[in-house]
Amino acid sequence: MNRKGAFARYLNRSGWLFVTPALVLFGVFMLYPILSSLYLVTRKWRGMTDSFVGLGNFVRMAQDNQFWHALGNNFLLMILQVPLMVILALVLAVVLNQGIRRGRGLVRLMFFLPAVTSLVAYSILFRILLQTNGMLNNLMLSLGVIQQPIGWLNDPFWATITMVIAITWRWTGYNMIFFLVGLQNIDPEIYEAAEVDGASKITVFFKITLPLLVPVILFSAVTSTSGTLQLFDEPNILTNGGGPANATMTAALYIYRQAFVTNSDFGYATAMSYVIVLIAGILAIVQIRLLGDRK
Amino acid sequence: MKRTLSFVMTVALLLSTAALGFAAPSKVTVWCWDPNFNGASMKAAAAVYNKTHTDVTIEIVDIPQQIEAKIEAGLQAGGKGLPDIALFQDFIIEKFVQNYPKAFVDLKAAGIDYSQFAAYKVGPMTAGNSVYGVPFDTGSTGLWLRADYIKAAGLNPDSYMKSMKWSEVIKLGETVKAKTGKPLITYQSDNFDMLRILVQSTGGQFFKPDGSLNLRSDAFKKSLAAFKEMNDKGMLYLAEGWSNWIDSINNDQAAGFLNAIWMVGTIKSKPENKGKWMVVPTPLIDVAGAKAASNNGGSSWYVFNSAPNKAGAIDFLKSVWASKDPAALSFYNDILKGQGAMGTYMPSRAGSNYTVKDDFFYKNQAVFADFSKWMEQVPVLKYTPNYSAMRDAVANATLKYFQGKIASIDDTIAAAEKEYKEVMGN
Repeated sequence: MNRKGAFARYLNRSGWLFVTPALVLFGVFMLYPILSSLYLVTRKWRGMTDSFVGLGNFVRMAQDNQFWHALGNNFLLMILQVPLMVILALVLAVVLNQGIRRGRGLVRLMFFLPAVTSLVAYSILFRILLQTNGMLNNLMLSLGVIQQPIGWLNDPFWATITMVIAITWRWTGYNMIFFLVGLQNIDPEIYEAAEVDGASKITVFFKITLPLLVPVILFSAVTSTSGTLQLFDEPNILTNGGGPANATMTAALYIYRQAFVTNSDFGYATAMSYVIVLIAGILAIVQIRLLGDRK
Repeated sequence: MKRTLSFVMTVALLLSTAALGFAAPSKVTVWCWDPNFNGASMKAAAAVYNKTHTDVTIEIVDIPQQIEAKIEAGLQAGGKGLPDIALFQDFIIEKFVQNYPKAFVDLKAAGIDYSQFAAYKVGPMTAGNSVYGVPFDTGSTGLWLRADYIKAAGLNPDSYMKSMKWSEVIKLGETVKAKTGKPLITYQSDNFDMLRILVQSTGGQFFKPDGSLNLRSDAFKKSLAAFKEMNDKGMLYLAEGWSNWIDSINNDQAAGFLNAIWMVGTIKSKPENKGKWMVVPTPLIDVAGAKAASNNGGSSWYVFNSAPNKAGAIDFLKSVWASKDPAALSFYNDILKGQGAMGTYMPSRAGSNYTVKDDFFYKNQAVFADFSKWMEQVPVLKYTPNYSAMRDAVANATLKYFQGKIASIDDTIAAAEKEYKEVMGN
């Protein structure tokens, strides 16, 4: 009798009816591309013609210094930019939450506005501002801060700095909002209790605010890391296709160029994409282990 | 009664709208970039065609960025979403012809006479017995110089209006830099077009007949050496990308540049520079067989096999772009004057604008006559389908060489070959 009831629930028509559209969409847009990519990756492509190479694409990738260099750039940007941005967003959120009384909405808007700009538009803008005879150099020259124009876009070191600046500008406000929400979710009674116990502002920040914000920091870190791994628009446009002599080439841009610009080799591009997904997954797991589940 | 009447009326309305659909004009869709140059030229062609074919609408769609990636995606989808005609740059078409052999219509079989087009344009679009496109503009190059800066350096611009060796140009650059502080030439560092213009002028090839890289050739080494000498003497201005380079020209960051005729629109967009620009032949590299002419860019029109209106597209191209009809020839004459677009259809070179003096230039130089003359001497360059990868590898290695990160020319060539090998996966 029990078994029949369970089976009957399994056959619940309306339940399946509601779930089917989502299943169909999943099947078409996620499952099918993944399966077909398994087919793509075992072949070497030249546009419409392909030949079977088995694991040849992965062997090629192991020897392709251009790809590893690009991936290295992703990690470099990650190490430089993500901590900078998270700390900045945190500090801004705390200042906004407790420091500024008037014009809070305006300041919040000012910092969040970059997050709604188009990636392409702001890359173009930064490129115009940062060219050798652009506004930033001219300003610094006229103020006497520098004697020679800085090669923001044609020196490998400065190009990396440019990327860090641009990405930080774009995403700090976005993360700041999450931290603001997190801060506002902290029960003010905890702060009152701490004040009664005589804790200084610094102690409060490090011993109370920060630990309670760990879930938000984790979220910020994981999304920023995965976002940095997929960096495409900035190196493509801001640094003219990967920076001076590939100094700011990123993995996603290299994959795109292999597929659509240089070679039409979709199999190789797919193989590289697998590696990126794998790395992103590993990083996410590591971060969740480190920062989550503190209990 | 009412019901029947309304039913009859509905059917009548439906039928009449269907009839409208039947009599609708046919459409030809064209994709190209740069609405002021390519788009405007195509518009002029459409106007000529519409005089005799009033029922055809030529729709020109501007694709400002990475048109090749869009087209590639369309070709992968079996031609869905692709237009009838698209513009391709000459250096990229061999890759498409090789990778997508059935993508384009064989226009030679459709009746176009290719003996009337410049041979160096027909080369890249030929595969076996088939020829696929309609050649459009030439990328005939020259050295564009600002006569006013030469004067400011205490020299007479007239004495430079001739074919020079690069050694003479370098002397000129040193003087201009010393007296005015301006570099003589601005160039683009993300693709190093200027280096490849030099190599092509020597008649050198980037690829050997078997398809392998040919960077160890005398032509390449001498061209790179000349370019490096200019860099070390401070007579070059480095612009990081296309828009930065255009900006550097418009803002007088340097006293000139080495590039093709299609820059004339950009130059003329600054009316305050009237009378200041002059164009001299591409300087000579010290290699036997070097010519005072080269090519950079240039594109051609191609018809897709998946085109919705293939017949209409082919007829349009044949009637306006490949016809000795007076209306067609005057079209070529008009776009030369209007857009600075010099076609490569030989019969059109008799047009009046080809020899007219241009009062925008220093001493009313007849620039189009000069470019047309130089176009005849352009050494043919074999692009091959791997041209883009070579271009990027050479550009990256050369930039590192210029910035002191690579020590010698041989090391630069080795670095370029290494990057090329890794990207191509051989």
